[in-house]
Amino acid sequence: MGVDLWQRWPGLRNALVLIAIWELVGQFKLVAGGALPSLSAIVLRLWVDRADYPGHIWATLSASASGFLIGNTIAILAGVLFVTFPVLLRITRGLNIAIFALPPIAIAPILALTLSGMAPRITLAALGVYFVTMSATVIGLSQYDSRAANLVRAYGGAKWQVLWRVQLRGALPAILSGFRIAAPAAVLGAILAEFGGGGRWGLGTYLLGSLGRGEPARIWGIGLVATLIAGLSYVAFALLSARLVGTSRAVSLNPAAPPALRVDPSPWWHRIGLLLCSVALPFVVWWAFLRVLSVPSMLGKTPWDVIHYLFLSELRATAQSRLFSALAETLPITFAGMILGMGFAFVLAVSSRLLPEFTRAFMPVALITQTMPLVALTPLLVLILGRGTSLTLWVTISVTFFPAYVMMAQGLLLVPRAAVELPRAYGAKAWAELRLVAIPASIPYVFAAMRLTAPRALLGVMIAEWLATGRGLGNLLNQSRGYLDFNMIWTVAAVSVLISVGFYQIVLMIERRVLARMGMAATE
Amino acid sequence: MRLQMNRRHFLGASAGAAALPFLPGRARATTPFTMQSAWINDAEFAGYFIGLDQGYYAEEGLDLTYLPGGPDVIPESSIIAGRADLSLTTPDTTIKAIVEQGAPFKIIGAQYQKNPIGIVSLAKSPILTPQDMIGKTIAVPPVNTISVEAVLAINGIERSQVNIVPYSYDPTPLIRGEIDASLDFTTNVPYTIETMGEEAVSFLLYDFGFTIYNDTVVVTEETLRTKRAELVGWLRASRRGWVENFEDPDLWPPRWMDTWFAGTGRSLENELFFNHAQQPLMASPAGYMAMTEEGIEANLEALARVGINGTRDMFDTTLLEEL
Repeated sequence: MGVDLWQRWPGLRNALVLIAIWELVGQFKLVAGGALPSLSAIVLRLWVDRADYPGHIWATLSASASGFLIGNTIAILAGVLFVTFPVLLRITRGLNIAIFALPPIAIAPILALTLSGMAPRITLAALGVYFVTMSATVIGLSQYDSRAANLVRAYGGAKWQVLWRVQLRGALPAILSGFRIAAPAAVLGAILAEFGGGGRWGLGTYLLGSLGRGEPARIWGIGLVATLIAGLSYVAFALLSARLVGTSRAVSLNPAAPPALRVDPSPWWHRIGLLLCSVALPFVVWWAFLRVLSVPSMLGKTPWDVIHYLFLSELRATAQSRLFSALAETLPITFAGMILGMGFAFVLAVSSRLLPEFTRAFMPVALITQTMPLVALTPLLVLILGRGTSLTLWVTISVTFFPAYVMMAQGLLLVPRAAVELPRAYGAKAWAELRLVAIPASIPYVFAAMRLTAPRALLGVMIAEWLATGRGLGNLLNQSRGYLDFNMIWTVAAVSVLISVGFYQIVLMIERRVLARMGMAATE
Repeated sequence: MRLQMNRRHFLGASAGAAALPFLPGRARATTPFTMQSAWINDAEFAGYFIGLDQGYYAEEGLDLTYLPGGPDVIPESSIIAGRADLSLTTPDTTIKAIVEQGAPFKIIGAQYQKNPIGIVSLAKSPILTPQDMIGKTIAVPPVNTISVEAVLAINGIERSQVNIVPYSYDPTPLIRGEIDASLDFTTNVPYTIETMGEEAVSFLLYDFGFTIYNDTVVVTEETLRTKRAELVGWLRASRRGWVENFEDPDLWPPRWMDTWFAGTGRSLENELFFNHAQQPLMASPAGYMAMTEEGIEANLEALARVGINGTRDMFDTTLLEEL
């Protein structure tokens, strides 16, 4: 009976083992002299504080749920539009990447000032959700089974019928896997905006008030409640996706890939025009945002203001030297963190095929590091790692590996069965099967993961710099905020977005070369 | 936004014109008025909570909306954006913004006559003067770094002799010995440290030459022009609130545990400690919220030492004179 229970619920056993280890570590103060409290101490603290929670949970929950809904609705509509009219994808490309790469810590105070009430939190939650779901939708819609589409067409189906009956159905697993990442992102976005927005209620606000209390048990408690909210939403979409993926996965291998998303070959001036539109659009939106909300010019800086500040004003020399010395500290460590985070994600994704039990045991830990606000986790990491480079690296790895892992694991999962079964029929071991089929077949997802990871690496570094090390771009942003140096705030935000976009473009160039050699299509 | 501001200004102007200072409060229509606070709700703002609870602002014809602050809230931004009429700020950032960016601010009052920020250390390895900081690691919020650098300069200590790291308002690293001291509100964090089983000692930056106010009351020049009557009313009601608070510092905080302090996660004992500790820092012969000529002079001198060259006309004491 007992053995039967363990075999049926290996996750339960692993969770119990983890909890036991945690309890021991906490009880005997094994991590940095008690910086990691025992689970029982955290639960006791939660009970003592129980009257505080409902108001805070409700505020965070309603903001992140609204943001999740709004962001995902826009994202799916945008995804459908982009697949239907690929030229739109080209035009909005710069904007999409910019939205994805926006460092939330830089725009939270700006949103808090230009919008009021719950709007900043909802906006940040929606922004956190948009790109993930939009790109998942586009990937899903463009990798449909072309045979089913041909069938619909043969019976006289129109373009929208193919979209509705084949592409959207086929895209469901991808969209749901996007939701899985988007759900914790929405909660994090809402909490981050609570930090910048003032107000009395919300888990982020509560955390702020508790940070100075020297009570790790409460900070962990708040983090765990946030984790629980995010985790439950993740689990809900994971279950949904597991149910649906079975009904929409191809049973047999389709030799003909669907036509790649491409605008028809066009004259060079057409292409240049599109490129210019794509580059200009984010700046137009930036400018329009300030105009529409009539943000006072002292607070809201236009793209031109930033250029003027950095290159033409009297302050340009000091502005440039501050910015460049910050960049010199931030960029090298960003590269290192990104490479380590990706490597970790890859190892994890592969091991999820080879050692599914290990992965299942590791997942709760992974999810905690994702949903526990870094602002709560960083002080703990500081106690363990100090305030040096290793701290920044760990924070960066922790923010990059999870989305990369989910993407890669999804890629491994979606390899057509027929392709997997071939080596299996020849008696290949799990590793050989992975090496020969699954990994090459999921390479588009590895690249998609890499593109997803690049901006997060920069964000991770900036968060660590802001909160702990007091160096680089993150510190410059924090200090400028304190001194009401709005020019520098907008400059740092703009520069960090440009760098993220630059990373993204470099990965994309490599991706195109590699995939072209392998005869595969890039997933936009 | 624009429309709302105009409506507010209109209401403010008309109410200001109609307001007769001796009319009993309830007979008058109230004007919407918003203040941006500097931090999350705690005893630091007791006077304003009393003013709201006791209807002192309403008696001045103000329908006061209180916006809490927090570490990432830039209080001055709220008045630039028109979200608040008045804001509590730190004078160094306010004056720096006026000097360097031409921000149209005026300081019309000051809550703390002595800035409560100081260097907090453990009694077992005490840091009691700037000299003691030599060779030590001090955690300082990035915004306050120049204040600490000023104190070092005033006391003839090289910047390179002290290791300054960022501070996130958490005393744990101090307890654990990762840092030797931190810069924080001396009215608050020593209590927290005591609950963690250590004894804390501190010294005020104010007592070693960095003689600035804190929680300065700041408005835009436009608000000063258009809402003068409301601002005077706000100062009067706030002073009444503070007087009442310090008549018995133990009286009010217990009443707020389920209202103003609800959900902050701070204990009543902490708020009482705070409320007692802040009294000597706020008292002034000229009354609460006051700004004296000597005080303003001391502020300008201290700020000049860190390269912020403010002038007397950034302070407007004429509203306080009307109280």
